[in-house]
Amino acid sequence: MARHIRWTSLGVLALILTGLMLTACGAASTPTTAPPPAATGAATGAATRAATTAVSGGAATTTAPRATTAAVGSAVAGGPTKDVKVGVVLSLTGDSQIYGSPQRQAVQLAVDEINAAGAIPGIKLVPAFEDDAGTKDRGITAFEKLIKTDNVTAIIGPTLSNTAVAAFPVAQQAGVPSLGVSTTANGIVEIGDYIFRDSLAEAQVIPTTIKTAKEKLGLKKVAIIYGIDNAFTKAGYDVFKKACDDNGIQIASTQTYTATDTDYSAQLTAIKGTNPDAIIVSALAEGANIAKQARELGIDAKVTIIGGNGLNSPAYIRNSGPAGEGTIVGAAWNSTNDNAANQKFIAAYKAKYNADPDQFAAQAYTGVYILAEAMKNAGPNVDRKTLRDALAGIKGLATPLGTFSFQADRNADHPPVVQVVKGGKFEVLK
Amino acid sequence: MFGESVRQLMAINALLALSIYLTLACGQLSLANAAFMGIGAYLGAVLTLNAGWPFWAVIVAAVIVPMLVAVLVGLPSLRLRGVFLAIATLGLGEVLRVVIVNLRATGGAEGISSIPVKTHDWHLALALAVALYLTWRLRGSRMGYAFEAIREDETVARTMGINTTRYKLIAFVLSAALAGLAGVLKAHLFRAITPGDYGFVQAVDILTFAVVGGSASFLGPALGAVLLTALPELLRSNVLRDVVNFEAGWQTLFLNGVILLLVILFLPNGLVSLFTRQWRRPTPLASEPATVEAT
Amino acid sequence: MPDINWSQQLLNGLFAGSAYALFAVGYTLIFGVLDILNLAHQAIYMLGAFCALVLVTGNVAGLGPLPGGMQLPFWLATLLAMLVAGLLGILLDRLAFAPLRKRPDTHFSGMISSIAVALIFEALATWLFLPQRSQFPAGTIRPGAVTLGQGALSYSRVLVIVAALVLVVLLTVLLRFTKLGKAIRAVAENPKAARLLGINVEAIYSFSFFLSSALGGAAGIFYGLAVSRLDPTMGRSVELKGLAVIILGGMGSVPGAVLGGYLLGLTEVLSVALTNTSNYRDAIAFVLLFLILVLRPSGLLGARRVREA
Repeated sequence: MARHIRWTSLGVLALILTGLMLTACGAASTPTTAPPPAATGAATGAATRAATTAVSGGAATTTAPRATTAAVGSAVAGGPTKDVKVGVVLSLTGDSQIYGSPQRQAVQLAVDEINAAGAIPGIKLVPAFEDDAGTKDRGITAFEKLIKTDNVTAIIGPTLSNTAVAAFPVAQQAGVPSLGVSTTANGIVEIGDYIFRDSLAEAQVIPTTIKTAKEKLGLKKVAIIYGIDNAFTKAGYDVFKKACDDNGIQIASTQTYTATDTDYSAQLTAIKGTNPDAIIVSALAEGANIAKQARELGIDAKVTIIGGNGLNSPAYIRNSGPAGEGTIVGAAWNSTNDNAANQKFIAAYKAKYNADPDQFAAQAYTGVYILAEAMKNAGPNVDRKTLRDALAGIKGLATPLGTFSFQADRNADHPPVVQVVKGGKFEVLK
Repeated sequence: MFGESVRQLMAINALLALSIYLTLACGQLSLANAAFMGIGAYLGAVLTLNAGWPFWAVIVAAVIVPMLVAVLVGLPSLRLRGVFLAIATLGLGEVLRVVIVNLRATGGAEGISSIPVKTHDWHLALALAVALYLTWRLRGSRMGYAFEAIREDETVARTMGINTTRYKLIAFVLSAALAGLAGVLKAHLFRAITPGDYGFVQAVDILTFAVVGGSASFLGPALGAVLLTALPELLRSNVLRDVVNFEAGWQTLFLNGVILLLVILFLPNGLVSLFTRQWRRPTPLASEPATVEAT
Repeated sequence: MPDINWSQQLLNGLFAGSAYALFAVGYTLIFGVLDILNLAHQAIYMLGAFCALVLVTGNVAGLGPLPGGMQLPFWLATLLAMLVAGLLGILLDRLAFAPLRKRPDTHFSGMISSIAVALIFEALATWLFLPQRSQFPAGTIRPGAVTLGQGALSYSRVLVIVAALVLVVLLTVLLRFTKLGKAIRAVAENPKAARLLGINVEAIYSFSFFLSSALGGAAGIFYGLAVSRLDPTMGRSVELKGLAVIILGGMGSVPGAVLGGYLLGLTEVLSVALTNTSNYRDAIAFVLLFLILVLRPSGLLGARRVREA
């Protein structure tokens, strides 16, 4: 009988290997990982070589095995360059993958640009992507693996604040500078002096939004709908509520939904019954569905929809269609900002991925440039400690988010923007 | 080969797997473990942060309160069989999640963070050792025989004079105690808890540990927990990344699913059968009369 | 106290109930026939929706346009997508359930193997359709709404209600009055006896999976169209509520699943309308579920040992 078991396990092994081969083939045809057309030949060659000579683990100075980086790396002219590994922990599977995926693309884009331009003298950035599946456990273990096995110099991510509060302490304890690019909840940078974020907290964005909206629309009475079981949307609600109270705006109805909801009509019908001047939507991607369903229920286009960072995405405009016209969105990133860094980012992202970037992408892209600037300032012998100090000293950096600095508490400091959806485009609300 | 937190997660997941083993051993498919874990975690965090209790007292409370809840919930629901009990207990977990999301003391969706780290490796080792010892001693004990009789056929067990309600309740309550313990230890190890951590996904994960490991013996669930915790970490391995250009993302999810499926299909007695020479007939986990006629 | 728009809220409840019912009939059919919980039903629901989207737009987001740039009208795409979902159901059965059929713990191992297949389907969907929110293009169905009293319901939502009615009636007719339906019910009652009567039990299992999954796929298509939201994890959101619905109605009972669906949909909507808050709305389904299980374990329409169609 024991013999029988052996054979079964052999069979299992064989099938696993088959699966591996299949997924490996799939990997080659994934568009997001394909190298730029011009470099295809070189990249394939490099990948093959890397595959035959690759060693596992490795400290910060091993050669990069990844096809894309290898191809771009060979294009850098002259001088010995040192590889500096940067961990990137994002939600690449599970419910939050729709936010982690643009972040990954933006990080890859920024890294490729920086390496191709040789923007950090003597240093080539090597990103190590890890998936946290939107959970704490996987976030913690990803941080640990990056810090101990990959010996990364810094970490970008994770996608969710809920993961960050569990994973950042690992980085803090190991003294690895970490940069949140989409973490807006309370108590993030308070974790320690190695924790930074380039994403404005809701409290830095929303009060201006409500104040501007009140001036433009003469708001007296609003209704609020928010996701009650998501840290981002719940924190957004708290700030919206306070801003309304501060501005003397009456809240006629407060409705909630949960992350698994897809139909909001019962709540929106209740809201419609209170005849509000505007509906405040503290939501993520589902904001587009809420807007659309509100209009389907006959809530008049004169009732403005007001949202925060979560609605600052081309997907909002695309998915809400005419229903989203007139929506006021207070956000950290102004897509129409005509500063050079922003225009370059949008054009490059569009060229590479054939899609418009959203705020998640903009903040992730900016995060890489912030790290690069800090590495440049710290010099070619950068380590975790000197990088941390250099990060803390970032001041007045031109980024797609605008002129960027870190505050003394390592929170982001750059001007927020109040936008309005007009003719299927975001415009600055003037 | 694994990092510290992976090993700690393995221990905690093994505790949870042993917790579900206790009810499975008694033929009950309860999926309330995640909910009891949540009660232990939240209670522990609140007592530590707001009441300033010493850690040992926090642990005691986080073990006892889930037991009390288990008595309250178990009395009406334990007469349900098979899948029905599973769904009732899942429902319990969902109700608990909604309550936690709405309460102010539990921090709503943002949960509770910056819980001080008080769990040390020896806590985990001790808890796991005790749990393993108890489940090991269960076999061959009076209670163990009663559990086995109920698992084989509840009606027959009752006619044999076994107080089935009592033993089922005992299994349920002990299971709640272990889950509560795992919850409080984990909360004081990884510093942050949120309501979503104790929902459907976690409940099904715990069942998966037990089934994949093999629930015929107490070693199976523990082994399943250890290996399934290791699996996603192994899939992160740089060897996979470099050799087959394997990416974090959907490919890992795919491979995870494939491996899970293969283990279920080809190892009917669970992973534990790879390590023990024993090749027993697969034991029914719960005898649901509805299935007696199905060959 | 704001006015409650009763007609609108009743329409909302009718819509939500139809959506639950549509999802749950396929779910409960498998439970009735095989006594197993198919936790991959939600993944088929998702794949069905995406399949229709691909046929309508002629484009696979992760790969590019279909060869020939073929674009089908919505009704044809729906039929084809239901067919594909049905075939995926047969594949699911062969992959995850058939090999375990002879095992005594088939219920448990079947649950886990169906989760494994759901993970595989979700991973493939993420690859093919990208980790993003998609929706059917505008104009897939006539825009506009039906008005009833103070209430309005968009055509896409009306479609969900009508589709639920039509498909459930068709399923009931099939199960009650056709030879095939009688064979399915015979297998559900007692597979051994059915085999002795000369019924090909394995073929009936396959056909049940085909039916269940085609219905699940249809649910995904119509609901995805109505709420304008498709993504690789969309099925996870209905999975738990779907369980509550089939328990409410009585597991294995098709009329029960329909009744359970409407009951849950209406209760949830009315709770929002009456209390003007939605904070505890999600708990209602599961409190109801717990009460029903404890007070009447066979569900509203499930007879104690009889699994009627």
